Amino acid sequence: MECRVLSIQSHVVRGYVGNKSASFPLQVLGFEVDSINSVQFSNHTGYSHWKGQVLTADELHVLYEGIKLNNVHHYDYVLTGYTRDTSFLEMVVDIVQELKRANPNLVYVCDPVLGDHGSMYVPENLYPVYKNKVVPVADIITPNQFEAELLTGKNISTEKDAVEVMDLLHAMGPDTVVITSSDLPSRLGDRFLVSLGSQRKVRPDGSRTTQRVRIEVPKVDAVFVGTGDLFAAMLLAWTHHNPNDLKMACEKTFSVMHHVIKRTISYAHELAGPGRRPSPPQLELRMVQSKADIEDPAVVIEATVIS
Amino acid sequence: MECRVLSIQSHVVRGYVGNKSATFPLQVLGFEVDSINSVQFSNHTGYAHWKGQVLTADELNVLYEGIMLNKVNRYDYILTGYSRDTSFLKTVVDIIQELKKANPGLVYVCDPVMGDQGAMYVPEYLLPVYRDKVVPLADILTPNQFEAELLTGRKITTEEDAVEVMDLLHKMGPETVVLTSTDLPSKCGDQFLVALGSQKIVKPDGTKTNQKICMDIPKVDAVFVGTGDLFAAMLLAWTHHHPKDLKAACEKTVSVMHHVIKRTITYANEMAGPGKRPSPAQLELRMVQSKADIENPAIVVEAKVLHESSQ
Repeated sequence: MECRVLSIQSHVVRGYVGNKSASFPLQVLGFEVDSINSVQFSNHTGYSHWKGQVLTADELHVLYEGIKLNNVHHYDYVLTGYTRDTSFLEMVVDIVQELKRANPNLVYVCDPVLGDHGSMYVPENLYPVYKNKVVPVADIITPNQFEAELLTGKNISTEKDAVEVMDLLHAMGPDTVVITSSDLPSRLGDRFLVSLGSQRKVRPDGSRTTQRVRIEVPKVDAVFVGTGDLFAAMLLAWTHHNPNDLKMACEKTFSVMHHVIKRTISYAHELAGPGRRPSPPQLELRMVQSKADIEDPAVVIEATVIS
Repeated sequence: MECRVLSIQSHVVRGYVGNKSATFPLQVLGFEVDSINSVQFSNHTGYAHWKGQVLTADELNVLYEGIMLNKVNRYDYILTGYSRDTSFLKTVVDIIQELKKANPGLVYVCDPVMGDQGAMYVPEYLLPVYRDKVVPLADILTPNQFEAELLTGRKITTEEDAVEVMDLLHKMGPETVVLTSTDLPSKCGDQFLVALGSQKIVKPDGTKTNQKICMDIPKVDAVFVGTGDLFAAMLLAWTHHHPKDLKAACEKTVSVMHHVIKRTITYANEMAGPGKRPSPAQLELRMVQSKADIENPAIVVEAKVLHESSQ
């Protein structure tokens, strides 16, 4: 498999977020991963302390220029996630557009990280950039419910709302949308959350078809960082292997997440000791220990095809 | 296996040198790898063009401070390689000294990158820093012949010379020294180069011993970049699994190198086409494709024990 991904995300010295979360699993699955580190921090910002440096939009451009000058700017995928800077994000869009001109089949996988649970955790001025510039060039997006609502201006209280929001997102650009988590009630009870996916395809005869899926995902009693980054990377991988079967791609992706999270939470509790809440360092994803699950995830989560 | 490595090396967007070369193979072998990127370049400097940014000594300190403040400065290994800046290298030395105080069993694996084939390719004033500050802290050292000669001030023309130079390097600090390549004539002919290793061990009964080995390694008709970084990382891994058996550790390490290089050169020649020399871009190590060889390298090179002696 000759497949090259350009991933533009954070780097942390210790732990698994951004490029640290995305690279190893993709490499283990045989993808060539070129990575531009948008920041270099000691660790993610959920720890008591964090220190480091950020890459400016100009510096990003300089790195891209190096790649271009060597005529090696040919990618099958671009992957982006958490960003805090509008000029950086706008430069990313320019780069994606150029790369798409160099390779019209390029697939841009975008996690439009804006916030969660009703509030934004990036500067507000990123929102119009995502809405007007980024999402229109994305092919696969992985918003959570809050981000999907923000981008479309529509609230989600029922599954029907979610389907309409995903259709609105399709109309903005991406043919594949996965709402990674929502507050919708799960058929399996309150220990589960509901995720949804929608993939729009054009048949050979020109007609359009949309496959929609619902996934009931076991909730975990812990706050993880880096799981969204791992999710987007694994969705990239499994949609690559199942380009016309969102159900299968989601089952693989959600299953990998489940195995990694389960292993992580066991280890975290072991380290913390009985009755104590694990700390952010203890909750770092057990990434290298999950190599076998990443390579060949046992499917433990089923996606239901809806409408 | 709970083993954490701090690797302070270059990052390239594309390709496999520095941390890009060291991290994936170590992770695949189950090591936790914390990585500080000393630079971020588009690609290595052997391409027609390269662009990017370097980390200053101050910025390195800031990152280390973050690790310290969170009290997550527990490491089993430190790994360093190519460096061009004396103040950066001195800061690395300070950090290693502090981490050794915090982690008494810590092993520092150092590739003292200074040059090759008789010429330095880093600024000259790095030599005294390596000789006087870095090498004394190192536990495992992977110089090539030129670097070993520079550090000891002694030339190597015979196997005896090589043995003496390794002993001089032991006296400077490291208990494990591998001369990764030399110009010494190989018994297998001129398609082979000679590498040597020496390890001082303290046996369980308290007696000291020294194992010296040599290996005949098939030469390859190509210039690779990043192979030294991969070598140091894999030597870290295999000495971890064979702490008192340099022969086994070297056989595994050199064998991995062989598999990766072979796969790379085949692919590069395919890409370049018949009769054409592959480009730097085409010669990038086939790292992800070599995962199985990295995990479990078939031994294809045998190390010969030169002599074991008690000290």
